[in-house]
Amino acid sequence: MRKRALAVLACSLAVLGACSKGLSPGDSTPSVGKATLTVLAAASLTDAFTTIGKQFEAQDGGATVRFSFGPSDGLAGQIQSGAPTDVFASASSKWMDAVQQDPGVSDRADIAKNRLTIITPKDNPAGIASVQDLANDGVKLVLAAEGVPAGDYGREVLDNAGISDKALANVVSNAIDVKGVVQAVTSGDADAGIVYVTDVTPDVAPQVQTVDIPDDVNVIATYPIGVVDGSEQSDLAKQFVQYVEGPGQSVLKADGFLPAA
Amino acid sequence: MAVIADSVGPAPGPEGAPGARSSARSLRSAWFVLPALVFVLVPVVALAVQAPWSRALSALGDAGAWTALRVSLQVTLGAVAISLVVAMPAAWALARTDFPGRRLVRALIVLPIVLPPVVAGVALLATFGRLGLVGGLMQDIGVRLVFTTAGAALATAFVSAPFLVLALEAGFRSLNPRFDDAARSLGASRWYVFRRVTLPQLRPALVAGLVLTWARALGEFGATITFAGNFRGTTQTLPLAVFQALQTDPGGAYVVSLMMLVASVAVLVAVGGRLLVR
Repeated sequence: MRKRALAVLACSLAVLGACSKGLSPGDSTPSVGKATLTVLAAASLTDAFTTIGKQFEAQDGGATVRFSFGPSDGLAGQIQSGAPTDVFASASSKWMDAVQQDPGVSDRADIAKNRLTIITPKDNPAGIASVQDLANDGVKLVLAAEGVPAGDYGREVLDNAGISDKALANVVSNAIDVKGVVQAVTSGDADAGIVYVTDVTPDVAPQVQTVDIPDDVNVIATYPIGVVDGSEQSDLAKQFVQYVEGPGQSVLKADGFLPAA
Repeated sequence: MAVIADSVGPAPGPEGAPGARSSARSLRSAWFVLPALVFVLVPVVALAVQAPWSRALSALGDAGAWTALRVSLQVTLGAVAISLVVAMPAAWALARTDFPGRRLVRALIVLPIVLPPVVAGVALLATFGRLGLVGGLMQDIGVRLVFTTAGAALATAFVSAPFLVLALEAGFRSLNPRFDDAARSLGASRWYVFRRVTLPQLRPALVAGLVLTWARALGEFGATITFAGNFRGTTQTLPLAVFQALQTDPGGAYVVSLMMLVASVAVLVAVGGRLLVR
């Protein structure tokens, strides 16, 4: 009886796993035979690049674009450790410089710029009305970790505002990437977080309040893209990069990114 | 690891009626399990309560749960296979032979158990990564383990194999070697004895060990994400999918977590709760 149960279980797991592709259209894996482009991109580019990827696949016909979104520093580290990558898009020049040093990058170009903003939960429990309020006692602040572009930029903003010491003492968590900061705020675990303006997506907006950061303390983030040396699809990769620089710009603009130039 | 142990019968009470008083005491004392039970069950129940049941299926799809399930199956079965190849001879040697430094060797073999998984991942990167000890050579001949499904299986095997070693060693030790001796004295070769006499007796311990190893492999996170990365379709196992979903859709993370829970419990039940029952 037990043996049969085990056999049935094993078979059902195997069958379930095998038809993983057909079970849900929202969960697609690259099909065998088509060229697959692997793009490693900063977490803040998630929505825009997912859309651009679908558009690129539609107009190219034979290619599949596979994304891995995450913190630019982590992605750069993976590339240097040997992760097979065709295109890398970073949220700061620092990490593109690192990858350019090793293993090398070609067709590098800036594709967008971005600004930062403060978000709080919908009811704004800590009553944050300006950057300066982040230094108030007891504010639970979440930033992306140091090294992550959003984390570095956030700390720069605090520095520009002259409240580094007090605000950094309020940091209760260093999120793994900027989306982690959004998550901490929407779940109510944080009183405030510093994210990109583009992270306040239509899904996120109803769950948060935004507090503007004045231009004189704000930071402008630059997003470089490039084809990674060692890519096995360098031609296709170059096409993708050019697509982002061309038709992709309208998608980025619609999401709230600033033009690169 | 003891697989089957009969529970000790109740001690006779002072009146002479066997077990009457201690049964009553057992019932009262049973409440002592409550803290541990609550500690374990409340988070699990919270998961089920907070999960967005109305959109469960689409949440699973968005989180890549089905792909992650396939990857998890590939990685865990690969890890168990690697572990078996490594653990069986080691366990046999540790149980049946005596050599200088045996204690030290056993401690070294089970080292990954006390190693934080992410440390295991980093160590594997230092070995097989592009800039690693042998990684550079491997790249020259065109072989890559980092950020591949095989690499995920290797990293998982690294942290799971010690469990199998311990389980099998205990299994070997619990066997009566006289059957082996008898077979040998009748002229059987050592390999024949191992295959036809030792192994069949080892079956309960082997099954229990394999299931334990598989369960450990299924839950592996730190070593996998460090060494193999989090690429959907190739290295994103179920735990990694949960982690990713948490960033964008916590509801989806809850649903995938429940899926894993159900799968794990189902396997435990199917193999027969003998594993953990005393």
